[in-house]
Amino acid sequence: MSYLIASSLEEALTSLRDGSGKARAVAGATDLYLQEMPYGLVDLSFLKETTVIEEKEGLMSLGAAVTHALAASSPLVLSRARALAEGCAAIGSPQIRNIGTIGGNVINAAPAADAAVALVGLGAKAELVDINRETRTEAVENLYWTHNRSLVDSSKEIMVRFLIKPCLAGEGSAFTRFAARRALALPMVNAAARVKLEKGFVKEVRLVAAPARPAPTRLLKTEELVIGRPVNGETISMVEKAVAEEIEVRGSLLRCSARYRQHLVGVLVASALKTAATRAGTSGKAGD
Amino acid sequence: METYTDPAESLLMVLREKLGLYGTKAGCGKGECGVCTVLLDDRAVNSCLVPVGKVQGRKVETIENLSRGGKVHPIQEKFVEKGAVQCGFCTPGMVMSAYALLKENPRPNPDQVRVAISGNLCRCSGYKQIEEAIMLAADKLKD
Repeated sequence: MSYLIASSLEEALTSLRDGSGKARAVAGATDLYLQEMPYGLVDLSFLKETTVIEEKEGLMSLGAAVTHALAASSPLVLSRARALAEGCAAIGSPQIRNIGTIGGNVINAAPAADAAVALVGLGAKAELVDINRETRTEAVENLYWTHNRSLVDSSKEIMVRFLIKPCLAGEGSAFTRFAARRALALPMVNAAARVKLEKGFVKEVRLVAAPARPAPTRLLKTEELVIGRPVNGETISMVEKAVAEEIEVRGSLLRCSARYRQHLVGVLVASALKTAATRAGTSGKAGD
Repeated sequence: METYTDPAESLLMVLREKLGLYGTKAGCGKGECGVCTVLLDDRAVNSCLVPVGKVQGRKVETIENLSRGGKVHPIQEKFVEKGAVQCGFCTPGMVMSAYALLKENPRPNPDQVRVAISGNLCRCSGYKQIEEAIMLAADKLKD
């Protein structure tokens, strides 16, 4: 078995190509022992490109190997993409958050991964490069194949960074979840919202919930209903009902019944929308 | 410290089986119980989930590093004083999580203490005494 701590993106791509499908890229590697151990590992944790957190020319760039702990405490993420900070703070335990990464949270493809739900809620795109040096940029929700299987093949491709439009004045985002315990518990439901208000009315909105399908699910019909309305008590009640009608969830023997989850999903999406709207309403130049 | 081993081995197994550092306990092996907590570059991690290849050239601190010159660390001292130890199996992990917290935040509030040990399970139900011990250790360390 070989383990390379890559010192450049170029070195990482060359090693993956030399591995002929038997080596794979990792960052936090926290899920490695739960899967079949590959022949070779290429560690991306220390590359400039995969660990950056910056805002440039109106776009936030977050390296895919940024840890959950770092994202949750980054002043830039807290002020411009609050939902992601909240999603990352909810993952696992401090020990997991100190080493697990946001890119891994997406590529691991668990249907209710907290950082992934927040990223989809924010409308994040992932930038990837493959062993032939071809790059692609994809919406995060389009990277899922099926339950717990990603479309990103880590033996041939590296997720470099996420690109996120920062929440500026009049915009806000929020993430929320419900679980049996406050740490080390998968959520019964998690949800994220991003909203842009104009004169108190919704101009743009993204509403996302999980687990329902393999990828975090956007609630497009409910989003349409919310456009042009103020986020008041009436809208919140409407969202609770509309979400429960738009999305179909399954029960889980370990976590909760389908009926309870169906109720929760509406409540949590509405709650995320309400918090995001409050942040949008109170945001000045500093974003949400 | 140098050792030659398969980089796919977990840091936990290398600490215990190759280096003889048995203070770090082996529990669930899935990052859920926290008994294997060590510090990697000053941050608490589950050593059962870290492939040892990842720690080349990095600083690892285990519970063995806490006592100096035959004297236990103030965190350990306060654990004893408050009766925060029952069966003792979770204790090294709890102490290491507390140690990581106090390195980063020497004056935590009780909520921050609870978050810091949220990845450590104690099945003897000793959380209250553990929280109190960590708060007392913080007081002692800042003097």
